[in-house]
Amino acid sequence: MEATGCVGRSAAGASDAVAALIPMVRRIVGARVADVTTAEDLVQETLARVLAASGRVEPGMLEPYAIATARNVVATAWREEDRQRRNRHRVVDLTAPDLPEGGLLAEEERSAVAAALARLSERDREALVAHEVSGRDTRSLATDLGSTAGAVAAQLHRARARLRVEYLLARDRTEPPTDRCRPVLFALSSGDRRRQREVDAGRHLLECDVCAALSQPLLERAPQRDDEVRIPIDGDADVVAARQAARELAGRLGCFSPTDLTLIATAVSEVTRNIVKFAGSGEVVVEVLEQPRRGVQVTARDAGPGIPDVERALQDGYSTYAGLGLGLPGARRLMDEFAIASEVGRGTTVTMTRWCADR
Amino acid sequence: MTGPRLVSILRQGPYLIASIHTALDDSQMTAFQHDLVDRIGRDRARGVVIDVAALDVLDSFATRTLRTIGEVARLRGAVTVVVGIQPEVAFTMVALGMDTGSLHTALDLEEGLALLDRAVGPRRPVTALRGGAA
Repeated sequence: MEATGCVGRSAAGASDAVAALIPMVRRIVGARVADVTTAEDLVQETLARVLAASGRVEPGMLEPYAIATARNVVATAWREEDRQRRNRHRVVDLTAPDLPEGGLLAEEERSAVAAALARLSERDREALVAHEVSGRDTRSLATDLGSTAGAVAAQLHRARARLRVEYLLARDRTEPPTDRCRPVLFALSSGDRRRQREVDAGRHLLECDVCAALSQPLLERAPQRDDEVRIPIDGDADVVAARQAARELAGRLGCFSPTDLTLIATAVSEVTRNIVKFAGSGEVVVEVLEQPRRGVQVTARDAGPGIPDVERALQDGYSTYAGLGLGLPGARRLMDEFAIASEVGRGTTVTMTRWCADR
Repeated sequence: MTGPRLVSILRQGPYLIASIHTALDDSQMTAFQHDLVDRIGRDRARGVVIDVAALDVLDSFATRTLRTIGEVARLRGAVTVVVGIQPEVAFTMVALGMDTGSLHTALDLEEGLALLDRAVGPRRPVTALRGGAA
């Protein structure tokens, strides 16, 4: 090679000689390294080393020097890569990084809890703080208050339920739109079913969007009951879902014959269809009753237009759409108990029960 | 439509055999009614068997739909037979006070086809010629 003869004479000559080596170095590195960008990096590094050493290398030996350098550079790269692979697991940081909004959220959370605590009665707040924060047990609290441990526990239970409601209100910065909201939310929060019935919580949730949204976390924390199913009704398909759920729950009681189950399912189908037809949406709750007798109770409620003339709607053949007019009167014949409460403009609630056959 | 078929309408000579495979909601029931009436015309069917053995509930809407199918089919020149009503479903329909009116019923598919043979009469050769292309 003529270019090699020039090496050492001038810097320009040296770089020309090195430039002439580029295709060969590329070939050597390319044969060993598959990744194009990595290969190009290594080629550049090889050339830099050769250029730096070109003054020291004997003329005519530059080419073998470049070959050896290229091999060494590749080998070093492989070793480096291997080392990195072995140590890669040490690089991973498993702790989640703090979210940028984390601090702010925690602050909001604290202020919501503080606001909720402030809205409790002083007695409730003191008992709650003594028990939850200072860790006093119910018995020592009872002696302080001149009460019994059971009464203190009940008071704490009520205070917690109230705190949950106030916390949700403070967190969302909402004030309940009606004065029925707080009692309903409180009944849901404490999980007191008798109280929920008294304040007609189900109906209120259908009417009040604020409470419907706020009650979600309250309902979710209630233990899953296997003697009650709640089916939201929103369209045709839910009619089938409701009657199948009713049949399933009633079937689990073991006291109903296949015919009884079909009667119940058909009655549920009729009242649920009325919700879809007239109100558009609502809910059906199927629950097992133990008192006064064992049986299954179906409550179908909606916040629809209501029925202007309930007596007439219960007559056979009365239909406001092209039905058989059998919906309500038919369902009434199929069940043992049947009650309907309807208010124009507020909605309709049908409650019907079928008792277990006496054995 | 996804999933398994909810209903099937099969042709058997001059008859259509419509089977409902699972519980249908109201809109599916209405769609079934339209499909079936449509097929009666296209297949020049003289009789229709509707198999409801898979249904655990025949409420007022389902009954009304079956009655409508029967009436419309009659006007289109076909006889409709509903077969396979389960005993507890039958009991419930009576308790509900449902009027099944002019609807023909039979115990099962075999009885249903026999009923159609009697009602429509043995005119298979003619229909076979007409419907040969379908």
